[in-house]
Amino acid sequence: MTRLHVKYAILTCAIFLPLFWSFVYVRNVYPITTWNVMLGGALLERGRSYWILRGETVSGDTVDIPAIKLTNALYSRNWTMVNATVGNRAFQITNLHPANAELLRQAGGLENLPPGARLPDLLRAWGDIYNDRLPGTSPQRLKAIRLDMYRWEGGRYADYDNFIQSWRQDL
Amino acid sequence: MAPGFIEAIVNRVVPASAFALGVSRVVVHGIFLVSVLLTSFSALGRLPVTIMRPTGAMKLLPWSFYDQLLTPAGITVLQIVMVLSLLLSTLGLFTVVSTKLTFLLVLFYQGLLRSFGHFNHDEMLGVYCLAVLAFTPCGDEFSLDQKLRKIKKARPAFAYAYAILLMQLLMAWVYFSSVLVKLRTTGLAYLSPDNLPSLAIFHSLDNLHDTSFRLAFWLPHVTSYLPYAVGLVLLWEIVFPLAVFCHRLRWWILTAGIVFHLSTLFFMNIFFPHQLALYLLFIDWDRLRMWSQGTTPNTSL
Repeated sequence: MTRLHVKYAILTCAIFLPLFWSFVYVRNVYPITTWNVMLGGALLERGRSYWILRGETVSGDTVDIPAIKLTNALYSRNWTMVNATVGNRAFQITNLHPANAELLRQAGGLENLPPGARLPDLLRAWGDIYNDRLPGTSPQRLKAIRLDMYRWEGGRYADYDNFIQSWRQDL
Repeated sequence: MAPGFIEAIVNRVVPASAFALGVSRVVVHGIFLVSVLLTSFSALGRLPVTIMRPTGAMKLLPWSFYDQLLTPAGITVLQIVMVLSLLLSTLGLFTVVSTKLTFLLVLFYQGLLRSFGHFNHDEMLGVYCLAVLAFTPCGDEFSLDQKLRKIKKARPAFAYAYAILLMQLLMAWVYFSSVLVKLRTTGLAYLSPDNLPSLAIFHSLDNLHDTSFRLAFWLPHVTSYLPYAVGLVLLWEIVFPLAVFCHRLRWWILTAGIVFHLSTLFFMNIFFPHQLALYLLFIDWDRLRMWSQGTTPNTSL
Protein backbone atom coordinates (compact mmCIF):
# COMPACT_ATOMS: atom_id res chain seq x y z
CA MET A 1 0.00 0.00 0.00
CA THR A 2 1.50 3.31 -1.06
CA ARG A 3 1.52 6.63 0.76
CA LEU A 4 -1.15 7.83 -1.67
CA HIS A 5 -3.48 4.98 -0.71
CA VAL A 6 -3.04 5.72 2.99
CA LYS A 7 -3.63 9.44 2.44
CA TYR A 8 -6.80 8.82 0.44
CA ALA A 9 -8.05 6.27 2.97
CA ILE A 10 -7.64 8.85 5.74
CA LEU A 11 -9.34 11.54 3.64
CA THR A 12 -12.27 9.25 2.88
CA CYS A 13 -12.70 8.30 6.54
CA ALA A 14 -12.34 11.91 7.70
CA ILE A 15 -15.19 12.93 5.42
CA PHE A 16 -17.54 9.98 5.52
CA LEU A 17 -17.34 8.77 9.13
CA PRO A 18 -18.75 12.05 10.54
CA LEU A 19 -21.40 12.00 7.81
CA PHE A 20 -22.44 8.49 8.81
CA TRP A 21 -22.63 9.56 12.47
CA SER A 22 -24.75 12.56 11.54
CA PHE A 23 -26.99 10.34 9.41
CA VAL A 24 -27.50 7.71 12.13
CA TYR A 25 -28.43 10.28 14.79
CA VAL A 26 -30.10 12.74 12.33
CA ARG A 27 -28.11 15.57 13.85
CA ASN A 28 -26.51 18.58 12.21
CA VAL A 29 -23.44 19.73 14.13
CA TYR A 30 -21.74 22.19 11.86
CA PRO A 31 -19.94 21.30 9.67
CA ILE A 32 -21.11 17.73 10.08
CA THR A 33 -24.26 17.40 8.06
CA THR A 34 -27.21 15.14 7.61
CA TRP A 35 -29.43 15.92 4.68
CA ASN A 36 -32.71 16.09 6.59
CA VAL A 37 -34.27 18.45 4.08
CA MET A 38 -37.93 18.79 3.14
CA LEU A 39 -38.99 16.34 5.80
CA GLY A 40 -42.62 15.52 6.29
CA GLY A 41 -44.66 16.66 9.21
CA ALA A 42 -46.14 19.65 7.42
CA LEU A 43 -49.56 18.20 8.11
CA LEU A 44 -52.48 20.23 6.90
CA GLU A 45 -53.92 20.36 10.40
CA ARG A 46 -50.82 22.00 11.77
CA GLY A 47 -50.97 25.80 11.88
CA ARG A 48 -48.05 27.89 10.74
CA SER A 49 -46.97 31.48 11.41
CA TYR A 50 -45.22 33.58 8.82
CA TRP A 51 -44.07 37.16 8.36
CA ILE A 52 -44.22 39.93 5.78
CA LEU A 53 -41.59 42.65 5.85
CA ARG A 54 -42.95 46.05 4.90
CA GLY A 55 -41.72 49.60 4.78
CA GLU A 56 -43.51 52.93 5.21
CA THR A 57 -42.02 55.50 2.83
CA VAL A 58 -41.69 59.21 3.51
CA SER A 59 -44.19 59.76 0.69
CA GLY A 60 -46.77 57.79 2.66
CA ASP A 61 -46.79 54.52 0.70
CA THR A 62 -46.51 51.07 2.25
CA VAL A 63 -44.25 48.78 0.28
CA ASP A 64 -43.42 45.10 0.58
CA ILE A 65 -39.68 44.56 1.00
CA PRO A 66 -38.32 41.14 0.03
CA ALA A 67 -35.67 40.32 2.63
CA ILE A 68 -33.34 38.83 0.03
CA LYS A 69 -32.88 42.32 -1.46
CA LEU A 70 -31.52 43.55 1.86
CA THR A 71 -29.33 40.71 3.11
CA ASN A 72 -28.62 38.42 0.18
CA ALA A 73 -25.82 36.77 2.15
CA LEU A 74 -28.55 35.12 4.18
CA TYR A 75 -29.74 33.39 1.02
CA SER A 76 -32.45 30.84 1.97
CA ARG A 77 -32.03 31.73 5.62
CA ASN A 78 -33.73 35.12 6.05
CA TRP A 79 -37.04 33.52 7.03
CA THR A 80 -35.49 31.35 9.73
CA MET A 81 -33.44 34.29 10.98
CA VAL A 82 -36.71 36.13 11.61
CA ASN A 83 -38.33 33.01 13.02
CA ALA A 84 -35.49 32.62 15.52
CA THR A 85 -35.39 36.32 16.40
CA VAL A 86 -39.13 36.46 17.09
CA GLY A 87 -38.77 33.32 19.22
CA ASN A 88 -35.88 34.85 21.22
CA ARG A 89 -33.75 31.85 20.28
CA ALA A 90 -30.53 33.83 20.83
CA PHE A 91 -31.51 33.90 24.52
CA GLN A 92 -31.86 30.16 24.71
CA ILE A 93 -28.29 29.10 23.92
CA THR A 94 -25.77 28.05 26.55
CA ASN A 95 -23.18 30.71 25.81
CA LEU A 96 -25.15 33.97 25.67
CA HIS A 97 -23.80 37.12 24.09
CA PRO A 98 -22.90 39.44 27.01
CA ALA A 99 -25.48 42.02 25.89
CA ASN A 100 -28.17 39.33 25.73
CA ALA A 101 -27.15 38.02 29.15
CA GLU A 102 -27.53 41.53 30.56
CA LEU A 103 -30.94 42.02 28.91
CA LEU A 104 -32.09 38.68 30.23
CA ARG A 105 -30.91 39.62 33.72
CA GLN A 106 -32.78 42.93 33.56
CA ALA A 107 -35.95 41.19 32.37
CA GLY A 108 -35.72 38.68 35.18
CA GLY A 109 -35.72 35.57 33.03
CA LEU A 110 -36.67 34.25 29.62
CA GLU A 111 -40.35 34.02 30.51
CA ASN A 112 -40.44 37.79 31.11
CA LEU A 113 -38.83 38.64 27.81
CA PRO A 114 -41.32 39.86 25.17
CA PRO A 115 -41.39 37.98 21.84
CA GLY A 116 -38.84 39.43 19.43
CA ALA A 117 -36.78 41.19 22.08
CA ARG A 118 -33.99 41.79 19.53
CA LEU A 119 -36.32 42.39 16.59
CA PRO A 120 -36.02 46.22 16.79
CA ASP A 121 -32.25 45.86 16.22
CA LEU A 122 -32.81 43.65 13.17
CA LEU A 123 -35.51 45.93 11.75
CA ARG A 124 -33.33 49.01 12.24
CA ALA A 125 -30.44 47.29 10.48
CA TRP A 126 -32.69 46.31 7.57
CA GLY A 127 -34.22 49.79 7.40
CA ASP A 128 -30.81 51.44 7.35
CA ILE A 129 -29.56 49.08 4.62
CA TYR A 130 -32.64 49.94 2.54
CA ASN A 131 -32.35 53.70 3.02
CA ASP A 132 -28.61 53.84 2.42
CA ARG A 133 -29.19 52.59 -1.12
CA LEU A 134 -31.41 55.58 -1.92
CA PRO A 135 -30.54 59.27 -2.34
CA GLY A 136 -31.18 61.37 0.76
CA THR A 137 -34.01 63.21 -1.01
CA SER A 138 -35.77 60.14 -2.42
CA PRO A 139 -39.49 59.89 -1.53
CA GLN A 140 -39.01 56.12 -1.50
CA ARG A 141 -36.85 56.27 1.62
CA LEU A 142 -38.42 54.63 4.61
CA LYS A 143 -39.56 56.49 7.69
CA ALA A 144 -40.42 53.20 9.37
CA ILE A 145 -40.06 49.49 8.76
CA ARG A 146 -42.29 46.80 10.17
CA LEU A 147 -42.70 43.08 10.36
CA ASP A 148 -46.27 41.85 10.12
CA MET A 149 -46.97 38.43 11.56
CA TYR A 150 -49.73 36.27 10.10
CA ARG A 151 -50.93 32.77 10.77
CA TRP A 152 -52.38 30.07 8.60
CA GLU A 153 -54.34 27.99 11.07
CA GLY A 154 -54.33 24.98 8.80
CA GLY A 155 -57.09 22.42 8.45
CA ARG A 156 -58.02 23.59 4.97
CA TYR A 157 -56.51 25.31 1.98
CA ALA A 158 -57.95 28.74 2.75
CA ASP A 159 -57.73 31.62 5.22
CA TYR A 160 -54.01 31.92 4.90
CA ASP A 161 -53.64 35.44 6.24
CA ASN A 162 -54.94 35.85 9.78
CA PHE A 163 -53.14 38.88 11.12
CA ILE A 164 -51.53 38.29 14.53
CA GLN A 165 -49.30 41.22 15.40
CA SER A 166 -46.83 43.73 14.04
CA TRP A 167 -43.42 45.00 15.09
CA ARG A 168 -42.69 48.55 13.90
CA GLN A 169 -39.43 50.43 14.03
CA ASP A 170 -39.09 54.14 13.30
CA LEU A 171 -36.00 55.02 11.29
CA MET B 1 -8.88 -6.06 -1.28
CA ALA B 2 -5.56 -5.38 -3.01
CA PRO B 3 -4.76 -1.70 -3.68
CA GLY B 4 -4.06 -2.50 -7.32
CA PHE B 5 -7.52 -3.97 -7.72
CA ILE B 6 -9.12 -0.90 -6.11
CA GLU B 7 -7.13 1.36 -8.42
CA ALA B 8 -8.30 -0.59 -11.43
CA ILE B 9 -11.94 -0.29 -10.35
CA VAL B 10 -11.65 3.43 -9.59
CA ASN B 11 -9.94 4.13 -12.90
CA ARG B 12 -12.66 2.14 -14.65
CA VAL B 13 -15.55 3.97 -12.92
CA VAL B 14 -14.00 7.45 -13.24
CA PRO B 15 -11.61 7.57 -16.16
CA ALA B 16 -10.07 10.87 -15.07
CA SER B 17 -6.84 12.77 -15.47
CA ALA B 18 -5.04 15.70 -13.89
CA PHE B 19 -6.88 17.86 -16.41
CA ALA B 20 -10.30 16.60 -15.28
CA LEU B 21 -9.48 17.21 -11.63
CA GLY B 22 -8.17 20.67 -12.52
CA VAL B 23 -11.46 21.52 -14.24
CA SER B 24 -13.34 20.17 -11.20
CA ARG B 25 -11.30 22.56 -9.03
CA VAL B 26 -12.32 25.47 -11.25
CA VAL B 27 -15.97 24.39 -11.08
CA VAL B 28 -16.17 24.04 -7.29
CA HIS B 29 -14.04 27.04 -6.38
CA GLY B 30 -15.58 29.09 -9.18
CA ILE B 31 -19.07 28.48 -7.84
CA PHE B 32 -18.09 29.90 -4.45
CA LEU B 33 -16.15 32.76 -6.06
CA VAL B 34 -19.20 33.87 -8.05
CA SER B 35 -21.40 33.42 -4.99
CA VAL B 36 -19.12 35.60 -2.84
CA LEU B 37 -18.78 38.25 -5.54
CA LEU B 38 -22.56 38.53 -5.77
CA THR B 39 -22.99 38.86 -2.01
CA SER B 40 -23.39 42.15 -0.18
CA PHE B 41 -20.95 41.74 2.69
CA SER B 42 -21.56 45.29 3.86
CA ALA B 43 -25.21 44.42 4.54
CA LEU B 44 -24.18 41.23 6.32
CA GLY B 45 -21.85 43.25 8.53
CA ARG B 46 -24.73 45.43 9.69
CA LEU B 47 -26.78 42.62 11.16
CA PRO B 48 -26.86 42.73 14.97
CA VAL B 49 -24.52 40.20 16.50
CA THR B 50 -27.03 39.73 19.32
CA ILE B 51 -29.38 37.71 17.09
CA MET B 52 -26.64 35.18 16.29
CA ARG B 53 -26.73 31.63 17.58
CA PRO B 54 -23.32 30.16 16.74
CA THR B 55 -23.82 26.64 15.43
CA GLY B 56 -21.63 23.56 15.90
CA ALA B 57 -17.94 24.37 15.59
CA MET B 58 -18.76 28.10 15.42
CA LYS B 59 -19.36 27.96 19.18
CA LEU B 60 -15.62 27.57 19.67
CA LEU B 61 -15.04 31.21 18.73
CA PRO B 62 -15.55 33.87 21.42
CA TRP B 63 -18.21 36.57 21.21
CA SER B 64 -15.51 39.25 21.13
CA PHE B 65 -14.40 37.82 17.78
CA TYR B 66 -17.92 38.07 16.32
CA ASP B 67 -18.27 41.58 17.77
CA GLN B 68 -15.17 42.59 15.81
CA LEU B 69 -16.14 40.69 12.66
CA LEU B 70 -19.66 42.08 12.30
CA THR B 71 -18.48 45.63 11.76
CA PRO B 72 -17.94 47.43 8.43
CA ALA B 73 -14.16 47.02 8.74
CA GLY B 74 -14.25 43.43 9.96
CA ILE B 75 -16.60 42.16 7.30
CA THR B 76 -14.67 44.01 4.56
CA VAL B 77 -11.48 42.24 5.60
CA LEU B 78 -13.27 38.88 5.44
CA GLN B 79 -14.63 39.69 1.99
CA ILE B 80 -11.25 40.77 0.60
CA VAL B 81 -9.44 37.72 2.00
CA MET B 82 -12.13 35.39 0.67
CA VAL B 83 -12.14 36.89 -2.82
CA LEU B 84 -8.34 36.80 -3.05
CA SER B 85 -8.14 33.22 -1.81
CA LEU B 86 -10.95 32.05 -4.09
CA LEU B 87 -9.34 33.80 -7.05
CA LEU B 88 -6.01 32.07 -6.40
CA SER B 89 -7.56 28.65 -5.89
CA THR B 90 -9.87 28.97 -8.90
CA LEU B 91 -7.02 30.04 -11.16
CA GLY B 92 -4.78 27.40 -9.64
CA LEU B 93 -2.02 29.61 -8.29
CA PHE B 94 -0.18 28.40 -5.18
CA THR B 95 -2.81 25.68 -5.31
CA VAL B 96 -1.47 23.57 -2.45
CA VAL B 97 -1.91 26.49 -0.05
CA SER B 98 -4.75 28.43 -1.66
CA THR B 99 -7.16 25.46 -1.85
CA LYS B 100 -6.66 24.76 1.86
CA LEU B 101 -7.07 28.43 2.78
CA THR B 102 -10.22 28.68 0.66
CA PHE B 103 -11.63 25.56 2.30
CA LEU B 104 -11.10 27.02 5.77
CA LEU B 105 -12.49 30.44 4.85
CA VAL B 106 -15.60 29.06 3.15
CA LEU B 107 -16.10 26.64 6.04
CA PHE B 108 -16.02 29.57 8.46
CA TYR B 109 -18.21 31.81 6.29
CA GLN B 110 -20.90 29.16 5.80
CA GLY B 111 -20.89 28.53 9.53
CA LEU B 112 -21.32 32.24 10.14
CA LEU B 113 -24.37 32.37 7.85
CA ARG B 114 -25.89 29.32 9.53
CA SER B 115 -25.45 31.04 12.89
CA PHE B 116 -28.05 33.60 11.82
CA GLY B 117 -30.59 31.34 10.17
CA HIS B 118 -31.02 27.60 10.04
CA PHE B 119 -28.72 24.78 8.98
CA ASN B 120 -29.67 24.73 5.31
CA HIS B 121 -27.89 22.32 3.05
CA ASP B 122 -27.44 23.94 -0.36
CA GLU B 123 -23.76 24.85 -0.01
CA MET B 124 -22.72 21.97 2.24
CA LEU B 125 -21.94 19.56 -0.59
CA GLY B 126 -19.68 22.24 -2.07
CA VAL B 127 -17.92 22.66 1.28
CA TYR B 128 -17.19 18.93 1.36
CA CYS B 129 -15.92 19.07 -2.23
CA LEU B 130 -13.59 21.90 -1.18
CA ALA B 131 -12.27 19.57 1.53
CA VAL B 132 -11.57 16.88 -1.07
CA LEU B 133 -9.82 19.34 -3.40
CA ALA B 134 -7.74 20.79 -0.57
CA PHE B 135 -6.02 17.45 -0.03
CA THR B 136 -5.72 16.16 -3.60
CA PRO B 137 -3.44 17.27 -6.47
CA CYS B 138 -6.03 19.45 -8.18
CA GLY B 139 -3.47 21.99 -9.41
CA ASP B 140 -1.36 19.62 -11.51
CA GLU B 141 -3.14 20.69 -14.70
CA PHE B 142 -5.58 23.36 -15.86
CA SER B 143 -3.90 25.77 -13.47
CA LEU B 144 -1.46 28.66 -13.43
CA ASP B 145 0.83 26.52 -11.32
CA GLN B 146 1.13 24.12 -14.24
CA LYS B 147 1.98 26.98 -16.64
CA LEU B 148 4.67 28.28 -14.30
CA ARG B 149 6.15 24.85 -13.65
CA LYS B 150 8.90 23.60 -15.92
CA ILE B 151 8.52 19.89 -15.15
CA LYS B 152 5.23 18.06 -15.36
CA LYS B 153 4.35 16.18 -12.19
CA ALA B 154 4.03 12.44 -12.66
CA ARG B 155 1.34 10.77 -10.59
CA PRO B 156 -0.78 7.68 -11.19
CA ALA B 157 -4.22 8.27 -12.76
CA PHE B 158 -5.71 6.97 -9.50
CA ALA B 159 -4.54 10.14 -7.71
CA TYR B 160 -6.94 12.17 -9.85
CA ALA B 161 -9.69 9.64 -10.49
CA TYR B 162 -10.24 8.88 -6.81
CA ALA B 163 -10.68 12.57 -5.95
CA ILE B 164 -13.38 12.95 -8.58
CA LEU B 165 -15.02 9.70 -7.52
CA LEU B 166 -15.07 10.93 -3.92
CA MET B 167 -16.90 14.13 -4.91
CA GLN B 168 -19.40 12.17 -7.01
CA LEU B 169 -19.98 9.77 -4.12
CA LEU B 170 -20.62 12.74 -1.83
CA MET B 171 -23.29 13.95 -4.26
CA ALA B 172 -24.82 10.46 -4.32
CA TRP B 173 -24.76 10.36 -0.52
CA VAL B 174 -26.64 13.66 -0.33
CA TYR B 175 -29.66 12.27 -2.18
CA PHE B 176 -29.48 8.67 -1.00
CA SER B 177 -29.17 9.55 2.70
CA SER B 178 -31.83 12.23 2.29
CA VAL B 179 -34.47 9.71 1.21
CA LEU B 180 -33.50 7.32 4.01
CA VAL B 181 -33.81 10.10 6.60
CA LYS B 182 -37.23 11.05 5.23
CA LEU B 183 -38.50 7.48 5.40
CA ARG B 184 -36.95 6.90 8.84
CA THR B 185 -38.46 10.02 10.41
CA THR B 186 -41.89 10.08 8.76
CA GLY B 187 -42.33 6.67 7.18
CA LEU B 188 -45.00 6.30 4.55
CA ALA B 189 -46.76 9.39 5.94
CA TYR B 190 -44.34 11.25 3.72
CA LEU B 191 -46.55 10.15 0.83
CA SER B 192 -49.62 11.73 2.40
CA PRO B 193 -51.58 13.75 -0.23
CA ASP B 194 -51.45 16.86 1.98
CA ASN B 195 -47.77 16.72 2.83
CA LEU B 196 -46.40 18.46 -0.26
CA PRO B 197 -49.15 21.09 -0.69
CA SER B 198 -49.07 22.20 2.95
CA LEU B 199 -45.28 22.39 2.95
CA ALA B 200 -45.19 24.20 -0.40
CA ILE B 201 -47.89 26.69 0.57
CA PHE B 202 -46.19 27.48 3.87
CA HIS B 203 -43.00 28.35 1.99
CA SER B 204 -44.96 30.58 -0.41
CA LEU B 205 -46.78 32.80 2.07
CA ASP B 206 -44.11 35.24 3.30
CA ASN B 207 -41.72 37.59 1.55
CA LEU B 208 -38.70 36.37 3.49
CA HIS B 209 -37.96 33.54 1.08
CA ASP B 210 -35.77 34.38 -1.90
CA THR B 211 -38.53 34.07 -4.48
CA SER B 212 -42.29 34.50 -4.38
CA PHE B 213 -43.66 31.95 -6.83
CA ARG B 214 -47.30 31.07 -6.20
CA LEU B 215 -47.60 27.71 -7.96
CA ALA B 216 -47.96 26.02 -4.56
CA PHE B 217 -51.54 27.25 -4.34
CA TRP B 218 -52.42 25.13 -7.37
CA LEU B 219 -51.27 21.90 -5.69
CA PRO B 220 -54.44 21.37 -3.55
CA HIS B 221 -56.33 20.86 -6.82
CA VAL B 222 -54.26 17.80 -7.69
CA THR B 223 -53.68 16.20 -4.29
CA SER B 224 -54.72 12.74 -5.50
CA TYR B 225 -51.76 12.65 -7.91
CA LEU B 226 -49.17 14.02 -5.48
CA PRO B 227 -48.32 10.79 -3.63
CA TYR B 228 -47.22 9.33 -6.98
CA ALA B 229 -45.14 12.42 -7.80
CA VAL B 230 -43.52 12.38 -4.35
CA GLY B 231 -42.95 8.62 -4.68
CA LEU B 232 -41.15 9.17 -7.97
CA VAL B 233 -38.89 11.74 -6.33
CA LEU B 234 -38.06 9.30 -3.53
CA LEU B 235 -37.30 6.61 -6.12
CA TRP B 236 -35.05 9.02 -8.01
CA GLU B 237 -33.14 9.82 -4.80
CA ILE B 238 -32.71 6.11 -4.06
CA VAL B 239 -31.27 5.35 -7.49
CA PHE B 240 -29.09 8.47 -7.64
CA PRO B 241 -25.88 6.51 -6.78
CA LEU B 242 -26.30 4.78 -10.15
CA ALA B 243 -25.31 8.11 -11.71
CA VAL B 244 -21.81 7.44 -10.40
CA PHE B 245 -21.46 3.87 -11.55
CA CYS B 246 -23.70 3.56 -14.60
CA HIS B 247 -22.76 6.05 -17.26
CA ARG B 248 -25.71 5.18 -19.47
CA LEU B 249 -28.19 6.13 -16.71
CA ARG B 250 -26.21 9.16 -15.56
CA TRP B 251 -27.77 11.76 -17.82
CA TRP B 252 -31.33 10.56 -17.16
CA ILE B 253 -30.73 10.79 -13.41
CA LEU B 254 -29.08 14.20 -13.62
CA THR B 255 -31.81 15.54 -15.92
CA ALA B 256 -34.40 14.37 -13.41
CA GLY B 257 -32.37 16.19 -10.77
CA ILE B 258 -32.52 19.44 -12.72
CA VAL B 259 -36.28 19.05 -13.10
CA PHE B 260 -36.60 18.28 -9.36
CA HIS B 261 -34.62 21.31 -8.22
CA LEU B 262 -36.46 23.64 -10.60
CA SER B 263 -39.74 22.21 -9.31
CA THR B 264 -38.82 22.98 -5.71
CA LEU B 265 -38.00 26.52 -6.81
CA PHE B 266 -41.30 27.17 -8.56
CA PHE B 267 -43.55 25.20 -6.20
CA MET B 268 -41.82 25.73 -2.85
CA ASN B 269 -39.57 28.77 -3.29
CA ILE B 270 -36.69 26.57 -2.18
CA PHE B 271 -33.70 26.31 -4.47
CA PHE B 272 -30.32 24.63 -4.26
CA PRO B 273 -28.24 26.47 -6.92
CA HIS B 274 -24.85 25.50 -5.50
CA GLN B 275 -25.77 21.83 -5.39
CA LEU B 276 -27.26 21.96 -8.87
CA ALA B 277 -24.15 23.63 -10.30
CA LEU B 278 -22.07 20.80 -8.85
CA TYR B 279 -23.73 18.42 -11.33
CA LEU B 280 -20.88 19.64 -13.57
CA LEU B 281 -18.66 17.23 -11.61
CA PHE B 282 -20.32 14.40 -13.51
CA ILE B 283 -19.11 15.64 -16.90
CA ASP B 284 -16.27 13.57 -18.34
CA TRP B 285 -13.95 16.50 -18.99
CA ASP B 286 -11.27 14.33 -20.64
CA ARG B 287 -13.78 13.04 -23.15
CA LEU B 288 -15.05 16.57 -23.77
CA ARG B 289 -11.50 17.80 -24.37
CA MET B 290 -10.79 14.99 -26.80
CA TRP B 291 -14.05 15.70 -28.58
CA SER B 292 -13.19 19.40 -28.86
CA GLN B 293 -9.79 18.46 -30.28
CA GLY B 294 -11.36 16.11 -32.79
CA THR B 295 -9.80 12.96 -31.35
CA THR B 296 -11.69 9.76 -30.58
CA PRO B 297 -12.07 8.89 -26.91
CA ASN B 298 -11.20 5.36 -25.88
CA THR B 299 -13.78 5.12 -23.13
CA SER B 300 -17.48 4.70 -23.48
CA LEU B 301 -20.05 6.71 -21.57
